[in-house]
Amino acid sequence: MKKFLNNPEDFVDEMLEGIYLAHPEVTHVGDDLRCFVRTNPVPGKVGLVTGGGSGHLPLFLGYVGENMLDGAGVGGVFQSPSSEQVLDVTRHVDQGAGVLYLYGNYSGDLMNFDMAGELADLEGIRTMTVLGRDDVASSVVGEEHKRRGVAGIFFAYKAAGAAAAAMKPLDEVARLAEKASARTRTIGVALSPCIVPEVGRPSFQIGADEMEIGMGIHGEPGITRKTLTPANEMVDEMMARILAEQSYETEKDVAVLINGLGATPLEELYVIYRRTAQVLDQAGARIRHVFIGEFATSMEMAGASISVLQLDDELQQLIAMGANTPFFKHIAQ
Amino acid sequence: MDTLTSHDIPQLFARLSKVFADQKEALITLDGQVGDSDLGLTMAKGFAAADKAVSELGDAPIEAQLKAAGAAIARAAPSTMGTLMATGFLRGSASAKDCDDLRTEQMALFWRAFRDGVAQRGRAQVGDKTVLDVLDPIAMSVEADAKAGTGLSTAMDNAHAVAVDALERTRDLVAQHGKAAAFQEKTRGIQDAGSTVAVILIQTMADFVSHGAARPVGT
Repeated sequence: MKKFLNNPEDFVDEMLEGIYLAHPEVTHVGDDLRCFVRTNPVPGKVGLVTGGGSGHLPLFLGYVGENMLDGAGVGGVFQSPSSEQVLDVTRHVDQGAGVLYLYGNYSGDLMNFDMAGELADLEGIRTMTVLGRDDVASSVVGEEHKRRGVAGIFFAYKAAGAAAAAMKPLDEVARLAEKASARTRTIGVALSPCIVPEVGRPSFQIGADEMEIGMGIHGEPGITRKTLTPANEMVDEMMARILAEQSYETEKDVAVLINGLGATPLEELYVIYRRTAQVLDQAGARIRHVFIGEFATSMEMAGASISVLQLDDELQQLIAMGANTPFFKHIAQ
Repeated sequence: MDTLTSHDIPQLFARLSKVFADQKEALITLDGQVGDSDLGLTMAKGFAAADKAVSELGDAPIEAQLKAAGAAIARAAPSTMGTLMATGFLRGSASAKDCDDLRTEQMALFWRAFRDGVAQRGRAQVGDKTVLDVLDPIAMSVEADAKAGTGLSTAMDNAHAVAVDALERTRDLVAQHGKAAAFQEKTRGIQDAGSTVAVILIQTMADFVSHGAARPVGT
């Protein structure tokens, strides 16, 4: 293992201390560094809370900020935050309008967020839940509810964040978040494994000349592992999975997210985008928004993911809205 | 006794707190075989917190007592099993709404709500080698006794006997959830740690109902 670390056990908390020092617009609840919230809550606004394991920056806490989210429960590397931490964040961000939980579909997170929601309810705080489940490789059509949440949750954050900032009520914010989530499809590809600091060795092995299409952001098995193909061929194979579930005949507008998993250079992400744009154009889609960079990583894994959100008028407006967080700046269009 | 009132509940939780403190090391060892060894610790912490929360309530209805216990466990034991126990008591508390005492009939509703809450929160099914494999037989046993008009003391003893048998049968199952799931076939032959917690729970309740708080519970 070759990493910039002190004691591996301190990795997450030291990362958080660095973030708090660099970005005064975010802080923590009480003395628990892992209860991550905005420093200045907006009175009367629906609170948006996410959370999940560390090791995916900018996901999850990176989207806490203006016109995006209000708080995040921060777990250990690839581990869920506790229900107590989620509850502390919930209490802090509740401004009387209720709180939306928006996080990825993983069993540990589900249990802890559900528990936190039940406890918040006892205290008179209303919560609703929308799950990110955009990874087409993690379950077949008809079993979409089993799909994992990956980089595409960014679109749900963007839509929900914009809706809440417009002071819409909880049910409406949840409806729009659910709509964005349900209309997003993501497919990933991995070239190399990642190393959890406290484990110290790679989480899986992959041949020097191999790629695995559909691998999850914790190294969950994908759909196919094979010898690396030229980038265009790889993108075609990945996009075929998305096109099988989206038709652009009546609704042409889409937003595209090309996400690096941690060790893949931006140059390569643009090579991937080039082909993705060609494929979408051929399929009759009109690209309205493009986001390229690192949005949901998996430590030092080499690889990328492609997410496509099929827009309608209201989602188009929400995605176009500006946003400003420590990890994501977007100028209104 | 054939009924539990709000005066008995604080004593029951004091007893549960004592028993789980006594069983801490045994549960740590059991969990360590295929889990992360924190079960004994979290159960001891969780039930100690429940005991404290219920005793601090003073004079309160059963529903409020069980709810306070569940919320306290959730906070003190934020592990999977802590969360499941907390959910069980919170859902069980709702079933005891407006009950002045728990007889076999109300106890059946309590265990059904407890079991259903755990199944929902843990997204597990009977046969997955989880605590549900003991909770389900307990709920069915108490429900059958409620229909048969059996007194609470006998009903709890019956449920305990059923739970002990069910725990033994978890050895034949293969874990499907949590860290243990990674061990798959290796979990066969091992007694499920979470199910053991459910047996301790029903045994302590059965002993309490039969003999009151005075008699020490042997496990």
